[in-house]
Amino acid sequence: MIRTFRLVPTIALAVALLGGAANAQTIKIGVNEPLTGAFAASGTYVVNGAKIAADEINAKGGILGKKLELVIEDNKSNPTEAAAVAEKLITSDKVPVLMGAWGSSLTLAVMPKLMEYETPMVVETSSSGKITTTGNPYIFRISPPSAIEAAAFKGIVDKLELKKVDFLVINNDWGRGTAEDFSKMMKEKGITVGAVETMDQGAQDMSAQLSKLKGTDSETIIVTTAVDQLTLIFKQAAALGLKKRIITTGGSQNPDQIIAQAGAAANGTMHLTTFLPWFPDKTPNPEATNYFITEWKKRGFDFAGCTESFRGYDGIRTAAAAIEKAGKAEPAAIKAALWDIKIKGLNGDIVFRKSGPEGKESGQSQPNVYLIEITDGKIGMKTL
Amino acid sequence: MKSGITILSVVVFASVPLWLRDPYLMNALITTGIFVIGAMSLNLLLGFTGQLSLGHIAFFGIGAYVSALTSLGFDVGLPFGLRIVHTPWPPIAGFVLAIAIAGLCGYLVGLLSFRVRGAYFVIVTISFAEVVRLVALNWVELTQGPLALTNIPSMTIGLPGLGELTLRTKLQNYYLVLSVALVTYLLISRLVHSHFGRAMRGLMENETLAVSVGIDVTKTLTLAAVISAGIAGAAGSLYAHYIRIIDPEVFAFINTVTMVIMVITGGKGSLAGPVVGGMIFGLLPVFLRPIMAPEAQWIAYGGVLIVILFVLPRGIVPSLAQRFAKRPGRAEKAAPVAFSERGVKEHA
Amino acid sequence: MSEFLQHLINMLVLGGTYALLGIGLTLIFGIMNVVNFTHGVLYTFGAYIMFIVVHQLGINFFLALPLAVVAGWLLGAVIELTLLRPLRGSDIDTTMLVMIGAWIAMQSGTLWIWGGVAKSVTTPFPEAPLVLGPVSVSWLRLFVLAAAALLIVVTYFLINRTKLGCAMRATFQDQDTASLMGVNVDLIYTSTFAIGSSLAAAAGALLGPVYVIFPQMGDLAAVKAFAIVILGGLGNITGAVIGGFILALAEELGAGYVSSGYRDAMGFLIIIAVLIFKPTGLFARSERVG
Repeated sequence: MIRTFRLVPTIALAVALLGGAANAQTIKIGVNEPLTGAFAASGTYVVNGAKIAADEINAKGGILGKKLELVIEDNKSNPTEAAAVAEKLITSDKVPVLMGAWGSSLTLAVMPKLMEYETPMVVETSSSGKITTTGNPYIFRISPPSAIEAAAFKGIVDKLELKKVDFLVINNDWGRGTAEDFSKMMKEKGITVGAVETMDQGAQDMSAQLSKLKGTDSETIIVTTAVDQLTLIFKQAAALGLKKRIITTGGSQNPDQIIAQAGAAANGTMHLTTFLPWFPDKTPNPEATNYFITEWKKRGFDFAGCTESFRGYDGIRTAAAAIEKAGKAEPAAIKAALWDIKIKGLNGDIVFRKSGPEGKESGQSQPNVYLIEITDGKIGMKTL
Repeated sequence: MKSGITILSVVVFASVPLWLRDPYLMNALITTGIFVIGAMSLNLLLGFTGQLSLGHIAFFGIGAYVSALTSLGFDVGLPFGLRIVHTPWPPIAGFVLAIAIAGLCGYLVGLLSFRVRGAYFVIVTISFAEVVRLVALNWVELTQGPLALTNIPSMTIGLPGLGELTLRTKLQNYYLVLSVALVTYLLISRLVHSHFGRAMRGLMENETLAVSVGIDVTKTLTLAAVISAGIAGAAGSLYAHYIRIIDPEVFAFINTVTMVIMVITGGKGSLAGPVVGGMIFGLLPVFLRPIMAPEAQWIAYGGVLIVILFVLPRGIVPSLAQRFAKRPGRAEKAAPVAFSERGVKEHA
Repeated sequence: MSEFLQHLINMLVLGGTYALLGIGLTLIFGIMNVVNFTHGVLYTFGAYIMFIVVHQLGINFFLALPLAVVAGWLLGAVIELTLLRPLRGSDIDTTMLVMIGAWIAMQSGTLWIWGGVAKSVTTPFPEAPLVLGPVSVSWLRLFVLAAAALLIVVTYFLINRTKLGCAMRATFQDQDTASLMGVNVDLIYTSTFAIGSSLAAAAGALLGPVYVIFPQMGDLAAVKAFAIVILGGLGNITGAVIGGFILALAEELGAGYVSSGYRDAMGFLIIIAVLIFKPTGLFARSERVG
């Protein structure tokens, strides 16, 4: 009896010590996304997609035998805050790898922190070319830079018989970068580029810009911004009686949401997306797509968000695969492992190729780009 | 007694890097220190001169942008075909320029305060800050607008040719901020106890009376505004070279509100008040982060501001000082007091 | 030319709601001498009430509007009774700061409850606009203009033709004499704040469905309200109405012909310009500065 009494606390103490000795009970991935501000809707979709990935991984036993924990922080759609959030995640939460930061300007703001603390980040949405060409070896991007979007769009330009286009873009790295890359491509094809109007990310009233564009002689407007502003643009364009063809880029459009809120104003518009939740069989990985969409609907989320949330899903799975490959939750090892992974993403294979100046290349994957068109409130594909 | 506490505090602050190893807390202390300098400068206007300038963040932000742009260089076109190209200068030059230009803006605001007073002054100062924010947001060629000014170099001490020390580590930046904060504290302390300080307080207590004894309203207010703005500009410069990224959101009204909460809670019109208030509201978010969502924290801060104004209108430090004051039976005035913690001896 | 006409139409619609905002604040600022920083929060509140009522309670859009006005009235009364009445007699700085504290707390509360993602309110109006020659205007915006006009007329009637309004005007002119004449100043203060707040809520309820609804939407609205009050002169309702339209015009023309990024700067620039050159406002009949 007495011996048992002495044994139990000893065993308990030993277990406690051993448990404490194990570094952490979970493996953390930092998530740096806009949950408030102009991009709140998009950031929330991405985070919810990320959670689906984390839950799926944990259901299958976690990573390296431990539970995966997402440390989610809000960067408020603001570059300074994005950098501060990255600092918090790395120095306070000690995450060995991050995913983020949604917007191009936000990601660019985070990049110096990645260099300073030598921690890798999976970039899931940003499209500015600068991200992978300025020589930051801690960046691994799975979303297409706008140059790839423009190149994919090149094929259909003739079919659409574009002659003169205007641009209406959000006033940051994303919008301006898109205008630049697409203009370059258009000019090569002999299409005239007309006006380039910008709008502040927080602007609610674009009627001034739209009135101006209504008066130009181009027949197409290319619009680049996040979904909240897009809905406003469509509504206001309809209210002004703007009859030009509208094409949106960037993959953050949520066409279903636009149909729901802009109604008839959405008909005839076209959108460059990076995912086809409406046609799972046309995606590179139909089984995984179906699983994701079913999970998404099960959680009661808005189906419209699938066009963006899949990025959170793929981003986390990428980071998790790298941690698994590295064998430890340690930044340098994860960074090295990211170059070696190849996984089936919802938008194609995720495998990183070198991009940028020699010696400091970033990783860039080659995702697919699709063009869809809204007709009579329904979404249809246009072959590129 | 008071100088004893001050010296002890300085020693404690100076010793922090010796025992604090957590980089995240060091970061929090450094940014808190910068905001404390900003709060001290606001206190000069709010607490000692009685001017509720709610555009104070404009001086901070202008200092940040001036310093950043000086050290990054820029190339802008102006109307009439003019073009200004500026090659990068050492950040220390940016620091000096930040103080100068912010001070100049303070001068302009001071001039304004002569024309409009009270509530209108408050509204004008808020508008000024917002206009500056919108200029920073839209003059993309100069400020990069929402793309933010990135890769701002770390602060340097020294001059090119004579030797420069770049302050890159947290340890170095901590001592830099501590030094500037100390200098600011001493500067404001000397100012408040000088003839000029008495003029400021006289103006605040009773303007008509002050004028009648020969105090020049415009000159006093303007000078106070210039000094206050200059110090805020210095804080802004430190901020720019420490976090090394600046975007127009630095001008957001909420940042002025943060400084106001620091000053009011700590005790406007007292020297240590903004320091105490600044430490509380600078570090509280760090410690509350694991248990309270940021929105919930801000509900609490708003509530705290209201409660302080109802219950402890003079703020924490003056109320504590009153508690420990060695003058039993002294009736304290209800109006905001700008006297030092030792009690009243001088007359206006 | 058609672009200019389009800007003019936009200006009319915007101006109506700005006028509501301005009237509400000029009453509060004028009669109570309170720098009401919670005005923007009431604007946001009105918009969120629309969202709750239409989307979560499933009530008809046209009924939701009066509900929002009433809700704003109630919230305004609560704020006045709990925060302002105890501070009656304190200096203006303290009151101002308490209002700021309330603003912070309420806006953060909105963010906490509703989250940062913007909300849309579906309206019963058709998407296709009404086309009048070269200009188009959506039915929703026409409704907003009509509703705003109606509320302005009602407010006019309230202030100029009712006993309450008479008491309010008396308190504005001379508080002490008014109280000597039997006016219950406490009641007037609460009523004024409540009415002003309900007008702000109405403006939010009308503009919310036009754009999107998010927690920080009131910030800009608040400053614009101050611009209108300063432009029109403190306590001057007609001035506030005209001021609202002038601000809308400045914004539309500024955004259309100068730069769209500076649209929101117009309000601030007007404030600064007016206070430098004509501090009593363009239409003020009496001197009241500071």
